[in-house]
Amino acid sequence: MIHPSASLSALLGAAASLLPAAHASAASTDDAINRASYRFSDYDEDALAPASVIGDGKRYRVLSQVFGLDTRIADGRFDLKLDATHEVMSGSSPWFVLPDAQQRPIQVLSGATIRDHRSALSAALTSDPGARSNTTWSAAYSAERDYHALSAGVERRQALGDALTLGYGGSFSHDVIEPTDAALDDRIARATKNSASAFASLAWVLDRDSVLQAGVQLNAEHGYLTDPYKLFSYADAIIPEHRPGERAEGAALLRYRRSFAQIDASLHVDYRYAQDSWGLHSHTLEVAWYQGFGSGWRVVPALRYYSQAAARFYSPFALVADGRVNYSSDYRLGTFGAFSTSVNLRKAIGRWELSIGAERYHSAHGLALDGGNAAVPALVDFTRAYAGFDFGFE
Amino acid sequence: MRAFRFDFPSMGCPCSLQLEAADEASAASAAARARAEVARLDEKYSHYRDDNWLARICAGARGDHGIEVDDETANLLDFADALHAQSAARFDITAGPLTRLWDLQRGRLPTHEEIDDARARVGWSRVSWVRPRLRLPLPGTRLDLGGIVKEYAADRAAQCCRDSGVMHGIVDLGGDLAVIGAHADGKPWLAGIKAPRDPRQPCATIEIAGGGLATSGDYERALVVGGRRYSHIIDPRSGWPVEGFASVSVIAASCLVAGAAATLAMLLGIDEGGAYLRELGLPFLCVDQAGRPSGSIETLA
Amino acid sequence: MLAAALVASLAACAAQPVQPWQRGHLARWDMRWDPDATQAALAEHTHFSKEGSSGRVGAAGGGCGCN
Repeated sequence: MIHPSASLSALLGAAASLLPAAHASAASTDDAINRASYRFSDYDEDALAPASVIGDGKRYRVLSQVFGLDTRIADGRFDLKLDATHEVMSGSSPWFVLPDAQQRPIQVLSGATIRDHRSALSAALTSDPGARSNTTWSAAYSAERDYHALSAGVERRQALGDALTLGYGGSFSHDVIEPTDAALDDRIARATKNSASAFASLAWVLDRDSVLQAGVQLNAEHGYLTDPYKLFSYADAIIPEHRPGERAEGAALLRYRRSFAQIDASLHVDYRYAQDSWGLHSHTLEVAWYQGFGSGWRVVPALRYYSQAAARFYSPFALVADGRVNYSSDYRLGTFGAFSTSVNLRKAIGRWELSIGAERYHSAHGLALDGGNAAVPALVDFTRAYAGFDFGFE
Repeated sequence: MRAFRFDFPSMGCPCSLQLEAADEASAASAAARARAEVARLDEKYSHYRDDNWLARICAGARGDHGIEVDDETANLLDFADALHAQSAARFDITAGPLTRLWDLQRGRLPTHEEIDDARARVGWSRVSWVRPRLRLPLPGTRLDLGGIVKEYAADRAAQCCRDSGVMHGIVDLGGDLAVIGAHADGKPWLAGIKAPRDPRQPCATIEIAGGGLATSGDYERALVVGGRRYSHIIDPRSGWPVEGFASVSVIAASCLVAGAAATLAMLLGIDEGGAYLRELGLPFLCVDQAGRPSGSIETLA
Repeated sequence: MLAAALVASLAACAAQPVQPWQRGHLARWDMRWDPDATQAALAEHTHFSKEGSSGRVGAAGGGCGCN
């Protein structure tokens, strides 16, 4: 059994001090088990409406595979997590936006079909994995033809009394961008960017059925933060977009988990607010319901709402040369809101757990809570389907 | 490897040890240790006596400052406290005065006054238990660990046998079983689940290779008044009997956990108890008042 | 009066820590912050690459050139 039921864990926990030996063998099913996992995901963006598009309206598709291994090493004193990801990306992406005769935006897509691979490796080592206080060191490397990122981080969890857990840590990433076809469109040949992040969180056990976590995070980015493939329609010219060389972001997070063990269910609510020095701010609300049906079946429907207000230098185009320093028509910096619904179906069979699921994501300018009126023509709708399994072993 | 059987009475019921050992001396020495352990727990925690450890603890706990209890008692009280919380106060080791009101010998239903009077003396939540200190602020409160100790004793007896080097065998304390280890050839033990109305009569036979099996049931003849049957399983919150299963049997990694699950299911009644057993995910067998079995234990006969 | 009683009962709640055996429900798989971490990381990566704000609280996994 990969997940012992809650009531059973409670009984075993209560019996532990009376029968220490019996407990040790029974309670280790979930904690000490080693796991191997595999996930396949197919991410497919809807084509843009042909009326407002120049170029191949067929957008991005990403096929991802993730292999994961989670295992105890050194007699259980450390937990080692390894993840290997491989992705194949294809399709065309938004390039720049042109005004039509009525100054309405026409999205131009990069006609050339991109085809690229991304490979990533990540490792995380946790000391005292079963304890309420422990430390995790992590490192990751991600490589594409034109993009390399190397990152490392450390995170400490510290129990403060019975009901409180403090978490804090930091991470650093060094990214190198080497755009293809650098000679084209005045693209930069090579650039780097460094980012650092610090975070702290406090988790409360509210009662025997619920926990709450509140956290804050500060991110600082420095270097080449511009997208080398995006152009901007500036008066009569089409020029490479330009963004500030620095960005600072602050975020606050609330996470709540409540168990309804009597009906084998639990509620997850996550909220995040982020504000950055580019003027972009966002709200993210996610609600998920984990429902067990016995015999190893579990269904997890989830809803996610995201709303962001545009960065100050976002606009689809500039009609006149006004001397602005920074400018981008990247839809990811515009004002929009997005709804996403997903469902995940899981079935545990002995040591195996199978998982399939799908997510549908719809974004629109009108779904935003606040932000400017500048049009955002390339907003994305996508469908993501995934399947995979976990395998527990001794 | 030879098989040996030792029968003895303890905790008010017939008990037996079935052991497989190389020679009689090893089996007898393991059996002696196991019997001594069961006798020790019976002596320490029997609620029929006024002169034992439990009675002395209760007497001491009535003082203003209560009493510090030993580790084993503290662990049992913690366990009782956990079951009280998990059963929404239905499992209550102070419920003795209420349970006695429904004894068959009385031959009549208790009056509301009697129930209210008993309820005033009952309630684990009124006991001050801050490990290791126990205080019983109300006069007349008594603790009855009978719902836990027999199963605990079965597990302890099995451990005594393992400590003595006997790794194959089964402990049976009045139908509550703790497996020491499967038969020497690896085969599981055949065990009878006692029938609700007659503990000596098995109603089902199952295979068990490890852990424990416990049955909680309404064994004594019930009080029947006006054609209605009143069980001995009392909800201490109302003071009235629970209309529930005739018996519940559970298999778990230990007899203690099996017994706790079975007892809680009995106290929760048919609907809630059934849901609780399904959520636990342990093999179980329920028998309803009409004698119909249900549950996930596959019976051999 | 009612407010005082309410405060008192709240204080009583706060003073009564959840016992280790009561953590049974909290120890459930579905009560983890991310029960399926692999799946959560994939979803996170997807949203991160399509939205303006960067990822969640926790160690960063490094960027990518995805768009």
